[in-house]
Amino acid sequence: MENQDIQDKKQRVGIITRNFFLHIHASRVHVHSMKPTYTFGLGIILGFLFLVMVFTGVILIIYYTPSVETAYQSVKDIVNVVPGGRIIRNMHRWASQGMIIVVFLHLVRVFYTGSYLGSRSLNWVIGVVLLIITLLSNFSGYLLPWDQLAYWAVTIGSNIAASARELTDLLGITNWFDPGGFLKKLLIGGEVVGQPALSRFFALHVIFLPLTMLVLMGIHFWRIRKDGGLSRPVKYASDKGPENKWLAWPVLMWTELGLLLMVVVVVLFAALVADAPLLEQANPAFPENPAKSPWYFLGIQELVSYSAFSGGLLVPLLYLVFLFSIPYRDREDRFVGEWFSGKKGLRLVGRSALFAFVLVLIQLIVTIRFGGLRNWFPGISQWFVMLINPATITAGLFMLVAEWIRRRTRSTRMAALVLFTCTLLALVIFTVVGIWFRGPNWEFYWSVNQWPLF
Amino acid sequence: MFYADLMKRRSFIGKTALVLVTATGALAAISYLRQFFPRLAGEKQRIALGDPRMFPVDTYTFLEEYNLYIYRDHEGIKAVSAVCTHLGCILEKSIEGFECPCHGSCYNDQGQVLSGPAPRDLTWYRVSRAADGKIVVDPGSSVPATDKFLSS
Repeated sequence: MENQDIQDKKQRVGIITRNFFLHIHASRVHVHSMKPTYTFGLGIILGFLFLVMVFTGVILIIYYTPSVETAYQSVKDIVNVVPGGRIIRNMHRWASQGMIIVVFLHLVRVFYTGSYLGSRSLNWVIGVVLLIITLLSNFSGYLLPWDQLAYWAVTIGSNIAASARELTDLLGITNWFDPGGFLKKLLIGGEVVGQPALSRFFALHVIFLPLTMLVLMGIHFWRIRKDGGLSRPVKYASDKGPENKWLAWPVLMWTELGLLLMVVVVVLFAALVADAPLLEQANPAFPENPAKSPWYFLGIQELVSYSAFSGGLLVPLLYLVFLFSIPYRDREDRFVGEWFSGKKGLRLVGRSALFAFVLVLIQLIVTIRFGGLRNWFPGISQWFVMLINPATITAGLFMLVAEWIRRRTRSTRMAALVLFTCTLLALVIFTVVGIWFRGPNWEFYWSVNQWPLF
Repeated sequence: MFYADLMKRRSFIGKTALVLVTATGALAAISYLRQFFPRLAGEKQRIALGDPRMFPVDTYTFLEEYNLYIYRDHEGIKAVSAVCTHLGCILEKSIEGFECPCHGSCYNDQGQVLSGPAPRDLTWYRVSRAADGKIVVDPGSSVPATDKFLSS
């Protein structure tokens, strides 16, 4: 009987190693990796959402023409003439927004479980690059319909890229050294958004970014196997053999197929009940008022409303430096695979969240109620406007507090927890304010009903 | 002796090949990357305004095609950029001056920043009379806000 069982398992392992789809996984998966509350399946959901994007995107490319004259009409045709085109476009839009949400949740999950520790530092870095590519894919896709939203979101975005000029202007060296202008020209191929920008974004959106993403996804999945499966707490670390492990087929396969089904159902349902917005055709002479970027960039837009350079370039760059450097600064491998690194960590996360909430709220209240530096001191130098505003103050204080915690607890992991929690909460608050509390001329309103009529 | 000579020659050829391949590769890379920067981008051509009497007196008129505000009074005519120096949105005329719909930067009538995140004052462009007698604006130039082309 037992012999038979072993024979049966050997046969299954054989099937698994011969099968490409199952080859993405190891033949055996640790029990801990199958706990739904450990990963929530977020990585695999992202993979499936990417599949939905590719499948719907291929159809959209067939009917879309990347030309300033016809782009808008071709999108209208996709919505109104192509059979099922509206559903396909809706699916593409909602799956892309799903990717944004899930990619951030995935980042949060991986960080709080300490899954960047040990040999996984490289995979964390690849993951952060994938996060950036996901955002860039969304942003480049935004321009393609060539409607008002598209045009002004990309005008603002390309000028954020050029906002290094704010610094070089103050130093008086823009004529000799102009990294901002260089970046803008590379991005949109000119001074203003036009046909070159549309062609470039089209190429980025349909070839360059998806291909890069595909390659990096391959490496991302492959690294998980190389690093010995998903991260798990130190107490399971020595489980090398078949004990405490399940066969990937059929258990994991059915779980993943179930997730695929769920992803498709959710996206399809969203596509049936809600239409992807399409405003009037782009008009380079009249911005929408308020001209809001896609919702997931409104946190950044709130920051650039203080200063283009610090809010759009300096602080986001600092944030990326932080994300990239986490696994190299923090080497406390004993915390791997444990949510919030235990009770002490959880307490610290709670306090950091409260601190960040209060700090950001106070600054928002002061800025909204009393205005910025320029309202207090008219004619103040641009240096002060650029360097002293909620974006820079928030970032600076967070870094100070994290450094203080590192010295007090003598733990880099605790400092990383504080900084990550604070920045995440600040990003959420700024985004919420940008989405719901900003109206015409980027002024504060409690609700849309209070917006003045034009 | 003969053997040593052969090795020398071989390593010479190898090194030469390496240098040549590197140089070719570098040249190819430069010319490839060069393609991402169009030669003709943002060339600023002078804009013919036509007859200045078309513009109402004591008023800022918005030229949609060029994103300019033209101001004319009984003495002359001036032109100011309608592009916000913050992130490039198009300004609206307000009572006190200009206002940006995107992030709320305010400028006065002279184009000076009053409030908001705008890093620089608005640019005023030189207005002049071309050889054929037409009034033209040169978006590649900048003049003080007080300069005015005396047309009458």
